[in-house]
Amino acid sequence: MNSKSKVPCIPLEGSISWADWLKGRRARRESSQLVAPGVLRRASSSSDRRLRKLFKGERGLPFTPTEKL
Amino acid sequence: MDAIKIKLALADVTEEQDPTLKCAKLASLCSALWRERGVELVVVGGSAIEILTEGSYASGDLDLCHANKATLPADERQRVMALLEAKGGPRNWQVAGMYLDLLGPVESFAHTPFRRIEAPYGNILVMKPEDLLVERVLMSFYLGESPTARNCAKILTSVAVRGEIEMNWGEVRRLANLPEYRNLPQCIQLVNEVADELKVKSPLHSA
Repeated sequence: MNSKSKVPCIPLEGSISWADWLKGRRARRESSQLVAPGVLRRASSSSDRRLRKLFKGERGLPFTPTEKL
Repeated sequence: MDAIKIKLALADVTEEQDPTLKCAKLASLCSALWRERGVELVVVGGSAIEILTEGSYASGDLDLCHANKATLPADERQRVMALLEAKGGPRNWQVAGMYLDLLGPVESFAHTPFRRIEAPYGNILVMKPEDLLVERVLMSFYLGESPTARNCAKILTSVAVRGEIEMNWGEVRRLANLPEYRNLPQCIQLVNEVADELKVKSPLHSA
């Protein structure tokens, strides 16, 4: 646990519970967005064909908006 | 794990529409089934970065490696993956509405442990962020500039300096000095840049 923010930390030793990992999702997304805003998913890769076939032209499921995490 | 539990878990993963949760749950379920057969799996690549950062980076495939030397013979793999109604094989499967790639033995230079999440169907091992960071910094400039790789390195740094994942910065320094990378100046530059943006002291700040 980060003592400053009370956001559960993914620790180096031991493990993080599922509940704590879920609880930290929003904070991790916000931290990521501060330095690299928007969707970072690559526009193409060697897996394009199979991904776009499975995900209706996309390369994966849409990301959950930050406010819903 | 008995057949009823597998069926319920598979239904949960299949119905899941959040890509990061789906990825983590599938990793949990697969890891549990392979672990029962003596093989530890570890989430690597973009899937690992997503689980550690929520950076909106991963696509619809889950990359796994085996963390110990053992793996399963091809016919045994197919039997295990058939429990999940997977199509394909012996290294790539379509399962529960996404793809799963088994890439082989994991390559890690860090002396830190794999990160561990107590996921619903069994623990997930996740690639060490120290390896991921130094590797992404390398990829960000090695074959010309790669903004995507650079952004991955930045989000790993951001969640680490904000205390949301625990990073061993001494180990980052050591890795970046290895012959496999030799990119300590680039690592320091990127980490300093992120720390400046976030107005915090850089963990790789030179004294």
